[in-house]
Amino acid sequence: MIKLWFKSGSPWIWLNAAAVSTCLIMVVGVLGLVAARGAGHFWASPIVSMSYQEDDGQVKTIIGEHVDTTVTPAAMAKSTGYKLADNEDVLIQYLIKTGNRDLTGADFRWIQERHVKTQTTPADMIVVERREWGNFYGQLTAVKEDGKVIASGEKVWNVLQERLKSALTLHEQITHLEKKEIGAINYGFEQLRLKQKSLELKNAWNAETVKEFATKKAAYDVDYKRYQAQLAELYQKIRRDSLVATTESGAELVIPLSKVVEVTQPNKMGTFAKIGHYFKKLGDFLSEDPREANTEGGIFPAIFGTIMMVIMMSIIVTPFGVIAAVYLREYAKQGFTTRLIRIAVNNLAGVPSIVYGVFGLGFFVYILGGNIDSLFFPESAPAPVFGTPGLLWASITLALLTLPVVIVSTEEGLARVPKAIREGSLALGATKIETLWRTVLPMASPAMMTGLILAVARAAGEVAPLMLVGVVKLAPTLPLDGNYPFLHLDRKFMHLGFHIYDVGFQSPNVEAARPLVYATSLLLVLVIIGLNLAAILIRNHLREKYRALEG
Amino acid sequence: MSTPEPRSHSFDASSILRSAHGNNGPVEPCIKVENLNLFYGKKQALHNVNMEMPKKKVTAYIGPSGCGKSTLLRCINRMNDLVDNVTIEGKILLHDDNIYDKSVNVAALRRRIGMVFQKPNPFPKSIFENVTYGLRIQGINDKRILEETVETSLRGAALWDEVKDRLNDNALGLSGGQQQRLVIARAIAIAPEVLLLDEPASALDPISTLKIEELINELKEKYTIVIVTHNMQQAARVSDYTAFMYMGELIEIGATSQLFTKPTKKQTEDYITGRYG
Repeated sequence: MIKLWFKSGSPWIWLNAAAVSTCLIMVVGVLGLVAARGAGHFWASPIVSMSYQEDDGQVKTIIGEHVDTTVTPAAMAKSTGYKLADNEDVLIQYLIKTGNRDLTGADFRWIQERHVKTQTTPADMIVVERREWGNFYGQLTAVKEDGKVIASGEKVWNVLQERLKSALTLHEQITHLEKKEIGAINYGFEQLRLKQKSLELKNAWNAETVKEFATKKAAYDVDYKRYQAQLAELYQKIRRDSLVATTESGAELVIPLSKVVEVTQPNKMGTFAKIGHYFKKLGDFLSEDPREANTEGGIFPAIFGTIMMVIMMSIIVTPFGVIAAVYLREYAKQGFTTRLIRIAVNNLAGVPSIVYGVFGLGFFVYILGGNIDSLFFPESAPAPVFGTPGLLWASITLALLTLPVVIVSTEEGLARVPKAIREGSLALGATKIETLWRTVLPMASPAMMTGLILAVARAAGEVAPLMLVGVVKLAPTLPLDGNYPFLHLDRKFMHLGFHIYDVGFQSPNVEAARPLVYATSLLLVLVIIGLNLAAILIRNHLREKYRALEG
Repeated sequence: MSTPEPRSHSFDASSILRSAHGNNGPVEPCIKVENLNLFYGKKQALHNVNMEMPKKKVTAYIGPSGCGKSTLLRCINRMNDLVDNVTIEGKILLHDDNIYDKSVNVAALRRRIGMVFQKPNPFPKSIFENVTYGLRIQGINDKRILEETVETSLRGAALWDEVKDRLNDNALGLSGGQQQRLVIARAIAIAPEVLLLDEPASALDPISTLKIEELINELKEKYTIVIVTHNMQQAARVSDYTAFMYMGELIEIGATSQLFTKPTKKQTEDYITGRYG
């Protein structure tokens, strides 16, 4: 009987089905975990106020967000030093995010469930998201202007929101001035300095150029002084207001509004308000710069850097891969050498990526970049321009890494173009290259896109080689901005994959950063899915357009 | 199965041609094949072929599968150049110019000698772009010229009425017979002198075949046509001259009416009476 069953082949079908389902479950599980943990981060959770009695009898109040609960068996808890009563089977502990790091030195605290006496969610609890020191939890008491109380009691909330709005506008203006206007002046100054040095190197630095540069510098100076004055004024305005709040221990804290990003009362929010707040936080996360060693704020530079690098990589890898494949398939005489090259290309795909990173650093950055610097940028020596890791080298390194998949799939695509089509074109008086350009390559384009999709999927998730050739923890400027020549390939950039590593494992405040790690991971997955979907859509469109003859 | 005659055997093809058609006045040859030998690697596929194909007439090649008739046809527009390891000896003269001369521009030659293949092979582009492909290769992009050519070529291939309203549709949406006529239109759009047809109806249904045959009859007014077919009835219907090939050799060539009724060689007779092949 069982022999018959084996003979029928159904065990194998079951085995295959089981393997497929296991894979599916694992993928869905990982994505589900990342999505649930990451997406939950932006939800305004209620603030609880607990009074609890410590082992020594003291009663204390603790205010914060309930983050996590752990259950430990009594025996294990006892062995690690917890004093439990005999009738207790388990030790339940709460992890509370209490914020107020500037006052207590820690953001999180563990308390034991059996110590909690009362637990309430007072409506007037506020969360202050600050530019420094993390969140503040407490109760709002007053709003101050130039140190004098202007509102307290009932009106305080509305006044605070009003003042905060204007403070945020001011803050935006300050950032804009500092980054855009003054940034452009600094960039201009630097360019002038480099130009002067290059003229000096060429011995063309004379009285005339001295004068010319002096006028330019003077113009920049005038602008700079004007912006400085504006900035000073704005700073004075933004420093005017502050809020006063009491902490869990009853201490008063004055927080200047210039340091505040947002004040909310999550316990008063309804579901709709929370949903609105959720999407606002999500939007901020996607569009803002990171703060506080990347553990707070947004990740826009990392998203931008990742996409930028992938696009640059695609621009570099596609022509190289396609040209190589066309040569191998269409022009090279098939034989031992081409077989050897194909084997080499396939093996290239198996080389650990860190090796590419080392190669990129040694060859591209130091040798190529160093030579480019000494040839074209002698004026900026000893500071390197291209002789240091940057976007260009990272893109080229990843292009090298993904070259094999593009070559292999393009070759497959070329091989699938029917001979009849080529002959039809040649018979009409087209040369080989015309046939390639007008017919064969368009028909092979879906296969090229397939290769590019695989390349993008691999490149976007790669971290190890990037750490060597251009990714940094925090890049002060984006590789694309308003200063000529707009695209700065020599700049270092941020990357989602590295950001996850940095936030999750290099951050001083791991507990606070954990949800960000999930959120960033989710985003990285989404970015890769998005890039892939775009490429797949293009490929399907091409496939439909260049549907080859049947058979 | 009778043994083929010795390989060294050779005869004056043009004299046969003249004798066959002596009554209809002089026939101007368009293509002459002289002492053509072709090797795939070491294997010889064509043995010392000599023949003439007259201008603005239809010449058909018949013979059993693998006898070299397609190979010979593909020699005429140098399509065999694409095959690896092929060696060609001898001459093919197009109006007294050897097409295998070193100085010949192959692409330009193929513009003068169009070819239609066994299976319809339209490009995955619109009907319009298919017909104008050859012109665009030559750098002709004037919309007016292109449109005129598309109409005359499609009319020439008896396809205009069927597709005039959907010139921008993908050519792969056409039926097999329409595709084959489109391919013919594409070939005549660049105004060749010679049209080579490699079993053009073998992949088509009887009605489409009939249409193609009618078309061939019309096309011979303007073009010298060489057609390969494995269908003897088709050869009898469409051609003026027929060449019988067997095992890489040209056995006999003559006016179609004569070859089918009074073959001079025994092998030809055996083939057309169905004794082998």
